[in-house]
Amino acid sequence: MIEEIQEPTETGPRVWAIGGGKGGVGKSVVAANLALAVARTGARVALVDADLGGANLHTLIGIPSPKRNLSDFIARRVASLNEILAPTPFDNLWLVSGAKALLETANPSFGQKTKILRHLASLDVDHIFLDLGAGTSFNVLDFFLAARRGVLVVVPEATSVENAYFFIKAAYFRKLKRAQPRARVKAAVDEVMRGDARQRVRTPRDLMAQVMAVDAEAGAALMEEASTFSPSIIVNRIERSEQTRLGDEMGSACRDYFGINLRCLGNLPYDALVRRSVDERRPAVDLFPQSSFARAVRGAAGTVVGQPVEAVG
Amino acid sequence: MSHARFEDWQLLDLAPGAELAEVNRALHFRRSLYQPGALATYNLLDEDERLRMLDRIDEAYRRITGNEPPRSPGPRPVEPVEETGLQGEGEVGSPPDPRTAPGAHLRFQRRARGLSLEQLSAVTKIRTSLISQIEAEEVDQLPAAVFVRGHVLQLARALGLADPNELAARYLAKVRLD
Ligand SMILES: Nc1ncnc2c1ncn2[C@@H]1O[C@H](COP(=O)(O)OP(=O)(O)O)[C@@H](O)[C@H]1O
Ligand SMILES: [Mg+2]
Repeated sequence: MIEEIQEPTETGPRVWAIGGGKGGVGKSVVAANLALAVARTGARVALVDADLGGANLHTLIGIPSPKRNLSDFIARRVASLNEILAPTPFDNLWLVSGAKALLETANPSFGQKTKILRHLASLDVDHIFLDLGAGTSFNVLDFFLAARRGVLVVVPEATSVENAYFFIKAAYFRKLKRAQPRARVKAAVDEVMRGDARQRVRTPRDLMAQVMAVDAEAGAALMEEASTFSPSIIVNRIERSEQTRLGDEMGSACRDYFGINLRCLGNLPYDALVRRSVDERRPAVDLFPQSSFARAVRGAAGTVVGQPVEAVG
Repeated sequence: MSHARFEDWQLLDLAPGAELAEVNRALHFRRSLYQPGALATYNLLDEDERLRMLDRIDEAYRRITGNEPPRSPGPRPVEPVEETGLQGEGEVGSPPDPRTAPGAHLRFQRRARGLSLEQLSAVTKIRTSLISQIEAEEVDQLPAAVFVRGHVLQLARALGLADPNELAARYLAKVRLD
């Protein structure tokens, strides 16, 4: 199974994987603006485009698609990893084009995925923001889990919330599959899911309780694994004040249902200037620093770097 | 206050010993989270899970405060089943099939009579948690078959259901306790 990279206390970059959430909710816009806002706190930031369906971060940042990409490094066409860091118009911010590497190894094995992430984690930066794109393919799920700091972008709409829960469920069960010792845990889960007991497994919390009853050690292993699954959420395109509660409410529901902590990283308003900044091919944080969106992104950036971020000019 | 357990405070996301005003706020917040149509839980839970969650929240509130939970003042897009049931004699919706879902049938009939777990427990002397487990058909939480049979009979009688024996037989056949 794929290994997790970098505990927060270890050296090396913090990897934030932005994924899940359906297309168009603002994952790429959020990734680009958040990365820039973090870079402006003085941290070194790499923005990695890993969206197989439509890599477009370069456009949001206002540069051509980078000539060098991650597959050049994997195929040893470049000597050092830092050669694939494409400069951007902004200090402390680099872009890595990663989607091609994933495409070339269509269906990368766990080992390959681990390798890709290890390479990324050896970049000489403080934060990495991975734009994973939409979908719940194993690729997306594995990178989301391996990054440890998975971030879901949702908008206050039923379809988006539904989609987010679908993603969390898929990621969560994929995560549980890693519980050790695998054979024993699998046997216990199979026993529970066979026959009548199956009907009583409604929530992941139920599953753990049932597995615990069948095999205490396997149950403990599952709980251990689940305890390290703690994605965060960013609510984008907020239009009414009561929608600012959505992130915290989803956090409570996830605690009840999965027994996990889902932290809300930030609430970002709907702001017509975002659209304009996309058309101008410059992040709103740069083009409209006083817009409500940019201000909220700086707030989220403060949470990401662990301290409040001063407004810039 | 009360017979509250740590889990009760936890369920309401409160520090043990919180003020009544806080408990009321927490109750309102938690209940609103599980109202039908609530965006934040959209399609996370199925109907049965949703109703169970509301029951659990109310029970935690009862144990903490010793009072019946006040009816939530907040906006409620759709009336929840358990409340519409207060008005009539089980006319709302159709009860789950007692042959395939005897537990859900018992729960539906209780709610249709506007009875809380607590109230039904007062009549039958069966623990609220056990009633809830019987309703949810939580097989491995249940006692031996002979007790379950007795409990189901008692519950069905207390609710005035047509054929308690038939329901108990269906229930045991379904959960296959032995
Ligand atoms: N907070 C916002 N306010 C207004 N428009 C937004 C906001 N966030 C995103 N958008 C619009 O939504 C479009 C799609 O966003 P994008 O980041 O490309 O979505 P995704 O990467 O999730 O598919 C953007 O081009 C932008 O016009
Ligand atoms: Mg995108």
